[in-house]
Order: sequence, then structure tokens, then C-alpha cells
Amino acid sequence: MRDRSEIHTGYALLVPALAVLAVVAIYPILGLFWLSLRQRILPFGIDAFIGLDNFRLLVQTPRFWNSLGVTCYFAVLSVTLEVTLGLSIALLLARRFPGVGWMRAVILLPWAIPTVVTAKMWDWMYQPELGILNYFLRASGLTTEPVNWLGTPSLAIHAAIVADVWKTTPFVVILLLAGLALIPSDVYRAASLDGASPWQTFRHITLPLLRPILMVVVLFRMIDALRAFDLLYVMTSGGPADTTETLSIYAYKMLFQTLQFGYGSAIGVVMFMLVALVSLFQLWVGRRDSRRFVRARS
Amino acid sequence: MTSSASILRRVGLLWCTLAALLACSSSGPPPAVEPGTVSLVFRHGKISGDPRPLQDLIRRFEAENPTIRVRSEPLPSSTDQQHQIYAINLEGGSGGIDVLAMDVIWIAEFSRAGWIRPLNEFFPYTAQASFLPNTIEAVTYRGRVFAVPWNIDAGLLYFRQDLLERYDRPPPRTWSELVETARIVLAGEHNPRLYGFIWQGRQYEGLICNALEFIWGNGGDILTTDRQLTALTSPATRNALAFMRDLIRTYHISPSLVTTADEETSRHLFGNGQAVFTRNWPYAWTMFERAGSPVRGKVGVYPLPTFGNDRLASTLGGWQLGITRDSRHPREAWRFIEFLTSTEVQKILTVQVGMLPTRRALYEDPGMFATQPHLARLGPILAGARPRPVTPFYPMVSQVLQSEFSAVLAGLRDPETALRSAQLQLEPVLRLEAR
Repeated sequence: MRDRSEIHTGYALLVPALAVLAVVAIYPILGLFWLSLRQRILPFGIDAFIGLDNFRLLVQTPRFWNSLGVTCYFAVLSVTLEVTLGLSIALLLARRFPGVGWMRAVILLPWAIPTVVTAKMWDWMYQPELGILNYFLRASGLTTEPVNWLGTPSLAIHAAIVADVWKTTPFVVILLLAGLALIPSDVYRAASLDGASPWQTFRHITLPLLRPILMVVVLFRMIDALRAFDLLYVMTSGGPADTTETLSIYAYKMLFQTLQFGYGSAIGVVMFMLVALVSLFQLWVGRRDSRRFVRARS
Repeated sequence: MTSSASILRRVGLLWCTLAALLACSSSGPPPAVEPGTVSLVFRHGKISGDPRPLQDLIRRFEAENPTIRVRSEPLPSSTDQQHQIYAINLEGGSGGIDVLAMDVIWIAEFSRAGWIRPLNEFFPYTAQASFLPNTIEAVTYRGRVFAVPWNIDAGLLYFRQDLLERYDRPPPRTWSELVETARIVLAGEHNPRLYGFIWQGRQYEGLICNALEFIWGNGGDILTTDRQLTALTSPATRNALAFMRDLIRTYHISPSLVTTADEETSRHLFGNGQAVFTRNWPYAWTMFERAGSPVRGKVGVYPLPTFGNDRLASTLGGWQLGITRDSRHPREAWRFIEFLTSTEVQKILTVQVGMLPTRRALYEDPGMFATQPHLARLGPILAGARPRPVTPFYPMVSQVLQSEFSAVLAGLRDPETALRSAQLQLEPVLRLEAR
């Protein structure tokens, strides 16, 4: 039983943190919502409250649905690949073998490179005439015509996903390595005494114990991927024919190139909802897991 | 206690270092202004090529006008970024800018927004008459002139003189002649790394410039002069777009890489000797002809072909100088603009930087042809170049068209569907302008 004053002190101690949050997060988000209800093109003196008209226009615009689809496709595919690949690499690097320290350092390199540099690098590799990918394809006789990676609608988004996977898998690897290090070695010893196969060990020991950190990794990566901007903007600026135009690129174009602050903010609101939805879902899964855990122990 | 004090000291030290770094990176404190001297801020995109001639000219202006100081502040070379910087600074009213260089497509937007001032009092019709009329059209919005044309750009057709001579083909006047010539040369050369015709099909502003040249060359248009979209869905516009797609998909004289190509990609490919024809701006000429270029002395330049209607159909580009509404020294700012756009300065900028002049007299000046022989041929093309739709909502128009045109080139939509979709999206934009 806590006494009342202790609770009051607790709240009082929370106030500074809440105040900071209010200024840097809640106020801008409310501002975004407010703007999304207005038609505002400041340079031309257009600024009026229009209710939900921006959203009505949004749902009628094929380009919006296209960018929503591109965003989800990009996020789901890139995060799935990153987590699968990252988990495999982390399991390998968690073992002890000569040179593992070096390997761990080297594998982190792509994550350390600024995204714009990564994007430019891949842009050059994909280049139809001068790029190294087409050089190998032609040298090996697989193709005679150069493949236009970033100019073909069905290829461009996948080319971008490959670049994103290359860049962010190391991030997944670091976090999962940390998670693997936390699993006590005696459970593994117990498993081997019981004669568990490597697959059984992985399926029934490693994976469940890694689950909390895996959830965090997926959440972080999803939030990041749903906001994908820099890599795609540098590589394709959303083209060809908007096939790589994510919500944030669409919002950027509407906000800062055509100066439609209301409409652009409405796209921002949709992005916010999307990220919030994903986070809430993950939180719910996390809670359910911990409840199960508690029940299993009692 | 001691540890926190030492942290504070460290933080303090860090701040001092940062401040020192900042002080070094900026050009130092602003020069002391003597009483009676006016200080102007001149913002412009980074000059492609040698920046020194412009700096020398500014110093010369200051020497000739001892009471005026000019601080030139170059912006990033990407026009989208420049547009964003101007929009934020000028709308916020905190620009501190007096004179600014603007892309031809921003004039209507900036004047409607009230960011730049009308220049009729300084720049009367008699003075306007000595400039190329199309450049004056591009800086005029609702009957008032808002800037002075500084330099001019127009889409040009570059071709390999040596290859055309080898197959005894004249430079093409129509698009079907271009297709035929390209096919003959490609069939004769048997070179898998040689392409017929390279242009700019990436989803960006350059795509609009290219597409308009095909559309105008076929008698189509985007906006009619009375602000109607009727021409957008006309067969002429539709067929022009279909032809662009067919260059890649049916005639196979343009590789699919043109759908990601911009000016620099095109210049590199043609400059490496990998294309028979290319479309580019005048700056490419200097690059093709410089020492060490594989195509030096082998390049011809010609007006862009049409579909047989014999009208010149180049898109107009270039930079214009204007004065911000908030400038406290419009008179001095005007003196500076007058200097930068004077016959003599335009001549220097043409010779030393490769910026083509907007004054008519320079295209008739035999002295200019001696040093810049290609100018004689370019004159009529530049004078015939057409401005993109002059509307304050141009960025919106361009965004819609970029996405639809790109879809046609990628084969995702046929021209008719794409143009009808563009029309649907542009109608509300035009209604905004009519308010």
C-alpha cells in the first residue's frame, strides 16, 4: 500500500517530461490535424476552414491510394526481408569462431553510411549503361540489352527494397545479437542434455526468448519503413509513374513543391494514423505475450 | 559536485568550439557599412561552370557605384531546393533578400504571391523591346512585368555530323525523318552500344519540357491562351505523347533508359559517342566541344523536329532577375539588375560562363559570332522558344503532368486515359486561379 503523498510526488516528477513532450510532440501533431482541416495555400492568400474536404479529396485521388499501397508494400516486404536476413546473420555471428569480432564490425558498415550516400551508390550500380550490375549481366551473357532497374515500373520498387535491406539489416543484426547475448547458456546446455535437435533448440528456446526484442526490432523497422523518404527520393524521386512514391514523398511534393499546406498535412495525418495503428497493434501483442508469460509461471 | 562542474566546463568548451567553427565557416562579420552606403543581398542558384566572372562583375559594379555594396549568396544548384528556400524565406517575410534570380516557371507564382514587385516604373515597354519577345512574355503576369530576363535556354537537337555524313543523311526536319535516319545509322553501324535518340524522360520537370516540345510540334498544347484545358485532351496532344512512348517501344530508337534519364545522363551518353541524336539545353554544346571530348568537332546543332507543321517548338528556360517586395532599396537593386542585364555584361557572361544572352542585339552582333560561331544558328531557335504555361499554380500543374506523362512512357496507362486523368486533376487547380 503506497501512501497518497508518494503518488503525488510521482506525478509532480512526471510534469517536466510531460511538458517537454507537449511542446515537441503533442503541439506539432495537433497543429498537423488543424492544418489538415483547412485549405491553405499561403502564397496565394488562400486560407479557409473546409472541414474534412481534404480527406474527401484524398480518398478520391488515385495517386493517394497508389502511394498508400507503395508505402505498405515497401514496409512489409523490406521489414520481412530485413528481419529474416538479420536473424540468420545474428545467429551465425553469435557463435564463436576465429575472426568473429572483425565480422561483427564489418557487417555494421552499411548502417554507418549516410542514407543519401547509400542511395547515390546504389543509383550508380543500377545505372543501365555504366552500372556494375548490368556490366556483370552482360559479361556473363545473361542479357544483351541493359536492364533499366530504376526505370521499369515493376523493377524500381524492388531495386529500392534491395538497397534498403542492404542498408538496414545491420541494425537488425546489432539488436538481435544483443538479444541473443541475454539468453542464459544453461538453457542451451539443458536442451542438449535432453537431446534436442538444433531446429528444436531454435524453435522452442531461442525464438521464444528472443521474441520481446524481436517485437521491438519489427516495431522500430516498421515505423521507419512506413516513413521511407530519403533513399527513394534520391534514387527515383517517386518515379517511374509514381511506382516508388511513398506517402512521405507524396506529402513532401504537395507540401513543399506545390505549397498546398492543408492537403499535404492531410497526407501527414494518414501517415500518423498508419504508424499509430502499427504501434498499437505491436503494444497489444506485447501485452498479450507478457500476460501469457505471467500466467505460465504462476 | 566536482564532476558536474567538469561536465559543465566541457559543455562550455564544446559550445565555444562550435561557435568558433561557425564564425570560420561564415564569411566573417558583415563589412562595416559607411554612412550613406546601401547594402544589397543578391541570391542566385550556383553558376554552373566558373563562378569567378560573376564575382568580378559584382566587384566592378561596386567600383562603379561606390555607394552600393552587393553581397552575393549562392543557393544549391537544384532548382527544386532553390524554390523551397525562396518560398520559405519570402513567405516568412524574413528573407533579407533584395535581388533574386528566378527560374522562368516561377515568375507568375512569385508575383501572384506578392513576393516580387512589378517593375513597370523601371522597365518600360521601350526598354523591354530590346529583349527577345518570348523572354518578356515569360516575365509578364496579368499585364505587368515582374523581372528582367538574364539568360535564355531552349531545347535543341544535337546530332552526330560525322555519322549523318557517312550515311548521306541531312539533319532531320520532322520526327519521322529523325526515326528513319536513326534506323539507317544504327543498322549500318552494328554497334550494340550506340543508341538512336536520347532525351529526358525521368519523372521531373525536364520531362514536361521534353513532352511540350513533342506536343507543340504536333500543334497540341496543355493550356490554351484563354486558360482552357481543351487542347490537353485533343488528338494532337494525345498522338504526340503516343509518339514519345513509341520511340522506345515501337521504333526502338530510344532505349528504355530514357525513362530515367535527365540532362546530365543524356549529355554523358551523347558525349561518350553513344547516341546519334540527343535533345538538350545549350550548355551541352560547350561540354561537347571542350578539349578531350570524344565527340569534339563531330556535333551538329539544329532546331528540334516537328510533325511537319514547320513551327519552332522548343521549350523556353533560363533565369530572370527580380526585386523582392520587402527590399528597402529598390532603386539601388534596379541599378544592379540594369548592370547585370546590360549588353556588355551579357556579352561577358556569354563568352566566359556560357550563359546565353536575352538581348536581341547580341544575336546580330558580328563580334559575338567571331568568338561564338554557334550563336548564329542558335539565335532563331532561342527567339522561337515557347514559355511553359504561365500560371501561379505551375508547380501543381507540373506535378500532375509529370506523374501522368511518366505513366504513359512506362506503358502503365495509354495516352488517352492519362490525359483525361490529368484534365480531371487540373480542373480544380484552374478554378483556384480564377478566384
